[in-house]
Amino acid sequence: MTDAIVTENLRKQFGQFEALKDLNLTIEPGVCVGYLGPNGAGKTTTIKILTSLLRPTGGKAFLNGIDVVRNPKEALASVGAVVETPQLYPQLTPLEILSYFGQLRGLDSDVIRERSVTVLDEVKMSDSAHKRTGEFSTGMKQRVAIAQALLHDPSILIFDEPTIGLDPRGMIEVRELIMQLKERDFTIFMSSHLLNEVQEVCDKVAIVDKGTLLVYDTVANLSSVGEGGVSLTAVEPITSEQCNSVQALPSVRSVKRVATSEILINVEGGLAEQSDLLDEVKRIGIRVAFYRPARSAIEDVYLRLVPEEES
Amino acid sequence: MPPSDLRQMAVVTKYELLKYLRGKRLLIIIALIAIISVLGLVVPLITGSGYDPDPTIFTSGILSEVGILVVLCATFFGADTIVSEFEQKTGLLLFPNAVKRHVLVLGKFIASAMISVGAVALYYAIAVIAVVVIDGSVAANTSLSFLYALAYLFGILAIAYFFSAIFRSSVYSVVLTFFTFFLILPIIDRVGSSVAHFKPWFSITFASGIILDIFQQPYPVDVVRTVERTFRNTTRTLTVAQYNPSVAQGLAVIFVYFIIGLILALYITKRREM
Repeated sequence: MTDAIVTENLRKQFGQFEALKDLNLTIEPGVCVGYLGPNGAGKTTTIKILTSLLRPTGGKAFLNGIDVVRNPKEALASVGAVVETPQLYPQLTPLEILSYFGQLRGLDSDVIRERSVTVLDEVKMSDSAHKRTGEFSTGMKQRVAIAQALLHDPSILIFDEPTIGLDPRGMIEVRELIMQLKERDFTIFMSSHLLNEVQEVCDKVAIVDKGTLLVYDTVANLSSVGEGGVSLTAVEPITSEQCNSVQALPSVRSVKRVATSEILINVEGGLAEQSDLLDEVKRIGIRVAFYRPARSAIEDVYLRLVPEEES
Repeated sequence: MPPSDLRQMAVVTKYELLKYLRGKRLLIIIALIAIISVLGLVVPLITGSGYDPDPTIFTSGILSEVGILVVLCATFFGADTIVSEFEQKTGLLLFPNAVKRHVLVLGKFIASAMISVGAVALYYAIAVIAVVVIDGSVAANTSLSFLYALAYLFGILAIAYFFSAIFRSSVYSVVLTFFTFFLILPIIDRVGSSVAHFKPWFSITFASGIILDIFQQPYPVDVVRTVERTFRNTTRTLTVAQYNPSVAQGLAVIFVYFIIGLILALYITKRREM
C-alpha cells in the first residue's frame, strides 16, 4: 500500500535561514501523527510544502504517492487541510464557501448539499450555516475551515495547530472531532504546541527541531522511554527531614519542593520503581494524598530532545 | 477527481462575481456612473450652453469620463484581487485545494472583467439613451468606441493584476494602479506632447485616446507645426504638437499591455509563496 505522506530529503531555505534540512518522514495510511517542535522548528514549513503553499528548495514531497511539487492538482485531490488560522470570504456564508470548494473539488451539487449539512453539524456550525462569515469569531472561522477540509471526505487530513484560537470548549470539541476522525480511517497529520493534546489524540509522534526530524515513533514506544518523574502531594506539610529522607532513597535522582505539601521526585527506572518509591515514602511517614506522573511521557521525551533555549 | 481546469475556472468566476455583487465597491461604481452621467446632462443646462445638436459631439461629451471610469473599475475590481488572498490569509483556504494557480487567476480575471464590462456598458447605455432622447439618433461609431473602451479596460485590468501579484499590501497595489493610470501616465503623455514634442505612443493612457477620437470625422492625425511668437521685441519659433494615436497603433499598445500584464500576473502568482 502506498504511504500517505512521504518527504524525501526535504529542504527549505528562507534567505540564510534553513527552515528544513533534509527532512525524511514516512507516514503510513490510517495513522494519526502529531507533529511537534518549538517555534521555528519547521512544522508549518513542512505543512505548507505539503499543501503547495510553499515550494521546497530541495527534496521531494509525496501525498498518496503523487509528487506535490510536480502535480499539485492531483496530489491535493484527496487532501483536506487547515493551515494556520485561515480567513474566510466575508461576503459568503459557510454553506456558500463549502459549495465553492465542493465544486472546485468536483463534487455533485446533491453531494455538496448533503455533505455540507453533515460537516457543519460535525463542527457544530449548523446554526450559522446561512450567516455571512464577516462577523464570525476566530473559533467559528476555524470550525468552518475544518468543515471545508472534511467536505470531500479526503483520505489525508493535514491540520496546522487545529485548536489555536479556540476557546477551551472549542479545543475540547475539536480534539474530540479529531479522535472521531481517527476511527474513520483518515490519515491525520497535525502540528501542535500542546503536548498533552498530541499524546491524547495521536497514534504516533514526530518531533522536529531546527528543520531536522529528531524522533518519529508511536506514542506507546515514546511513553516507555519517559524519565519517570512523579509529583507527590501530602496531606500535611512535608518537613525538610522527610525531604532529605526521600532524597536518600536509592532510586531517587533528585527532589524538588514545589509547595509546602508538594514535591517533585525524579525517579530512576520505570513503573515498578515508582511503585516501590511510593511504599518507601509512606514508610518515611509522609501521608500521601496524590501521587501522579509529573509530566506526560511525551513532555519528558520532548524536553529531553529539544534544548531549553528553543522550547 | 477534481474537474477540468476550464470547469474550475468557471466556478472561481461564479463565486468571485458573487463576492463583487455583495460588496460595496459595485454600489460605489454605480453611484459614480450616475453622478458622472447626471453631471454630463445637467451642466450644459446650468451653464446655458445647451446640448449639442450633433449626436457625435454630444455623445463624446457625455462619455468624456470613460477613461476615469475604466481606471476606477480596474482599481476596485482588480488591484487587490490577488494580493488580498495573501494579505488577508484567505489563500490559506483556497490554495491548498486541487486547483492550479493560473486557473484561480484567470477565473478571478474573468470575473473582474465581467463586472467592469457591466459598469462600462451601463455608462454607455445611459449615454446612448440620453442622446437618442435628446438628439433623436445614435452617434456613429458609438459601438466602436465601446469596444475600444473594453479593450482599454482589459489592458488596464491586466496591469492591475500584475501590481496585485507583486505587492504584499493591497494598499500599495490599489494606490499604484490608480495613480499610474490616473496621474503618472497622463502627465507623461502631456509633457511628452506639449513640452518634449515626442509622441508617447508607448503609453496605454495615450493609446486610450482612440475611445473618443473615433467620434471625430475625419479621424484626427498628428499635427506638428511651428509658430513665431514675439515677446518684448524678441521673436521666437515655437513648435506646437498635437499627437493622436491611430486606431491600429492604439489597439496594438493596449494589447501588448494586456498580454504582458496578464502573463506576468500569472507567472508571479504561480511562483508566489504564502
